[in-house]
Amino acid sequence: MIAELLFATFFGLLLLGIHRKVIARIQRRPGPPVWQEILHMLKFSFKTTWVPATASTTLFVGVVLVAIGIWTAALFVVLSGGSLLVIFAIYMLHKIVEHGFGLSSGSPYGKFGGVRSVISAASEIPLMVSVAAIAIFTKSLMISDIVAYQQSYGPLLFTVPLAAVAMYVVLLSKMPFGPFSIVESKELVSGYKTEHFGVWRAGLEICNGLKTYVLLLTFILVFAGGLPLWTILLLMLLITMSLSFVCALSPMLSPYDSVTIQTLIAGLMVLYVAILGVVS
Amino acid sequence: MNEIGGAPLFFLEFGDIVIYFTPFTITLFLLALVFTVFVLVSRPERQIDIAFGGDAYYAKEISLSELRFRRFMSIACGLACMGAMVTGDVFDFTLFVSLVGICNVGIVAAVKSRHVQNAAYQYGLVALAGTVPLFAAAAMVAATTGTLSMLELAKDTIQVPLAARALLVLGVMGEGMAPFYAAKAEMFRAPGAPYVIMCSLSSLLIFLRVAEVILLL
Repeated sequence: MIAELLFATFFGLLLLGIHRKVIARIQRRPGPPVWQEILHMLKFSFKTTWVPATASTTLFVGVVLVAIGIWTAALFVVLSGGSLLVIFAIYMLHKIVEHGFGLSSGSPYGKFGGVRSVISAASEIPLMVSVAAIAIFTKSLMISDIVAYQQSYGPLLFTVPLAAVAMYVVLLSKMPFGPFSIVESKELVSGYKTEHFGVWRAGLEICNGLKTYVLLLTFILVFAGGLPLWTILLLMLLITMSLSFVCALSPMLSPYDSVTIQTLIAGLMVLYVAILGVVS
Repeated sequence: MNEIGGAPLFFLEFGDIVIYFTPFTITLFLLALVFTVFVLVSRPERQIDIAFGGDAYYAKEISLSELRFRRFMSIACGLACMGAMVTGDVFDFTLFVSLVGICNVGIVAAVKSRHVQNAAYQYGLVALAGTVPLFAAAAMVAATTGTLSMLELAKDTIQVPLAARALLVLGVMGEGMAPFYAAKAEMFRAPGAPYVIMCSLSSLLIFLRVAEVILLL
């Protein structure tokens, strides 16, 4: 499990580095090297670490451990073929982590990042809708059962394409520099993570790497089925690059527009699942 | 579909009321427990605010009496959350959820700011109204199926009316502060993390649990 955890962290960070590189090349900038996010994580691990005088110390430190803990648990659940509902829960609880990061320091920048994180909770509804659409066909939410179902009936990508689109939007809402990245908007400095420096930021980088890997792996297992490892990694790369194109070519929305669009998508997806439920 | 949250790991029976732990409920329970421990052991943050008319800023302080009250309500909220996460009884679930609503109002209403108290008052009215569909759902389930046990209701032989499920979701929407009341930024901008975090944590946790309960019934 330790080996898988390390691989997931480093590969997830590499994907985030590639994400930055692709965005830069589309915008005709040289961009950072693809391993920049890995270097960030290593650099922060050895930088001076402190806790702001105004912070709630236990929460300030504890929330970093919770962030790493929940995504480690998510990786374990995906690899062991556990319930998709647990992944959904962890994805939603990541909001609390962001909220905790933002509120724990006392900084207004972090606080606004945290508040924006909570108000963009509409982005979770498409994930719930995807889960419901999958449950209608597979009659199970265990990832192992979903993979087994696809071996018999073909990839769910072709059975419930709109559910795949919904989950793609969920992935997009978690990618940095995207249209829905209002929690890290530049007017908030670095948003909810503004005050977390040194080893705390390194922990956050580890969490980001793990989160990226787990969400992409879940997307592939749920919509394409069980594939050889190299195919899964290649698909992860392709999905990341497609997300980078969307992020590079679309402006960051204002908080109001971001929530409105996510709510509209969520409404459409609820309608889609209602129709699926009636038809099936 | 009975094992939607993973295979049950442990049952704790109190007569006909059964508390059960699945990977899903245990994840939620542990999260509620961890944040309740944070509330117990940590000092609150001191929110930085600007002084209008200049470039000065200051740190807001929380008085000891306010701290004690908000900490008490946050711990009560955490305990109610933990109960709602693992209970296997529909009526107990509705009770715990309504307790979460009451505690959320308490956590925010203790802040001595007119804007925050207005927001808490408005949320309180919604939470109060939310208890009607919540308990109506439990009553409807009991009247139509003769049981409130989720394990019994999960069996294919028992059909729970769609209206009861809809009322349950409606009730939780009323009680939960986030995401529907998150637009009331005064709630979350109120100083004093980790107490305020319990509002959003408890709301998300009860939403997650009701999703499981609805899929189970």
